[in-house]
Amino acid sequence: MSAILAAGITHWFGSEPALEGVDLVVERGEHVAVLGENGAGKTTLLRILATALEPSAGGLEIFGLNAHREKRRLRTRIGYLPHQTGVYPALTAAENLKFFCDLRGVDKARVAEMLDFTSLTHVAHRRAGELSRGMQQRLAIARAIIHDPLLLILDEPDASLDAGAHELLERVMGKRTVVFATHDQALATRLGQRTVQLRRGHVMGTGSRLHVVR
Amino acid sequence: MRHVTIALAVARKDLLSEWRSRELVPALAQFLVLALVIANFGFSINSDNAQAIVPGVLWLALVFAALVGFGRAFAAEKEQATLEAMLLTSAAPAAIFAGKAIAATLLLVLCEAVLLPALALFFGTPLTFVLAAAVLLATIGMAALGCLFAAMVAQLRAREVLLPLLTLPLWIPFIVAGGQAVQVMMGAEGTFDQALRLLIAFDILFVVLTSLAARFVLDE
Repeated sequence: MSAILAAGITHWFGSEPALEGVDLVVERGEHVAVLGENGAGKTTLLRILATALEPSAGGLEIFGLNAHREKRRLRTRIGYLPHQTGVYPALTAAENLKFFCDLRGVDKARVAEMLDFTSLTHVAHRRAGELSRGMQQRLAIARAIIHDPLLLILDEPDASLDAGAHELLERVMGKRTVVFATHDQALATRLGQRTVQLRRGHVMGTGSRLHVVR
Repeated sequence: MRHVTIALAVARKDLLSEWRSRELVPALAQFLVLALVIANFGFSINSDNAQAIVPGVLWLALVFAALVGFGRAFAAEKEQATLEAMLLTSAAPAAIFAGKAIAATLLLVLCEAVLLPALALFFGTPLTFVLAAAVLLATIGMAALGCLFAAMVAQLRAREVLLPLLTLPLWIPFIVAGGQAVQVMMGAEGTFDQALRLLIAFDILFVVLTSLAARFVLDE
């Protein structure tokens, strides 16, 4: 059974089409990079896959579950890193993660584990609003994986991250199924096993890592 | 049980954020005191007309403070892009909503702790259990409705305009019953038992209805 089975995904914002008839199959454990220029529909596609947005038309199954009807069940298996970090600026890094442990019913021991994993232990008690953009991004990554999801949806995960980012992202992705959006072809080549090229809401082509390198 | 844990976690997070940022409560408390000062001079309130005017002043000030307070409950989440992160967990939307409403109620109660003594100071309104109970009961129901509509309009650009338009008509029962309780307490004819019972009935009705509606509002 495929991890993601999307058929004819279409989404309109008012009279503007953001996605039109997108078909996408992602196998379990596969890492898929979504490439495309600004306004190509990458974020819209990722938000639909993360169950944050209902498509205007089309069908979506994730791990064999209907994404419309089984949204709540699926959210226990999906981790989503949005374009904006979405951290609580007045709470410390540790408090941000503890809060999401409460929401997800996860053991709070994961907080220290995740802070260590994302190299944020030294700023655990600093307010998130005082952290650099890169550190906030690391915190958002920690939040996205705190419940150990099977599927990770990452929207420009390398945004504001430093030179060690690729290594962190490789560890984050691990054996999970991952769909990530990026503008960076080099990142897509390094982390993605397959790429999907979007242009103005249409899939213009898919390719393996080799195709992108060529 | 898990719903309660989630609601308490959300409320705690909101209260902690407010305690650290001190964005809302000091500003609202100042607004309430200023509203009383303006009313004092504007209406020339004295012992003869206090009974008729003061309840109106109290509820008007409270309504406007509540609109700002409840509006911020979801607007701040939207601005920080945290609302989506919260909703994309498996937490029940009704539990998240309950947590937000509890925190918004407590923050408004804090402002009322400034308003009621100020009311006593400016207009000689007796600080009684009935006055506190009427204000508290009205706050609970108003918070439930206010937070629901605040969640509904949080995604919209014109949310500051839409929130009062949607909320104020449904707050009228609280203002009528609450105003009656305060008038009776200040010497008007009638009993405040009836007004308090009405406020309790409205609270139960609107807390249940908004909890049921929260799922649809937050999920979409």
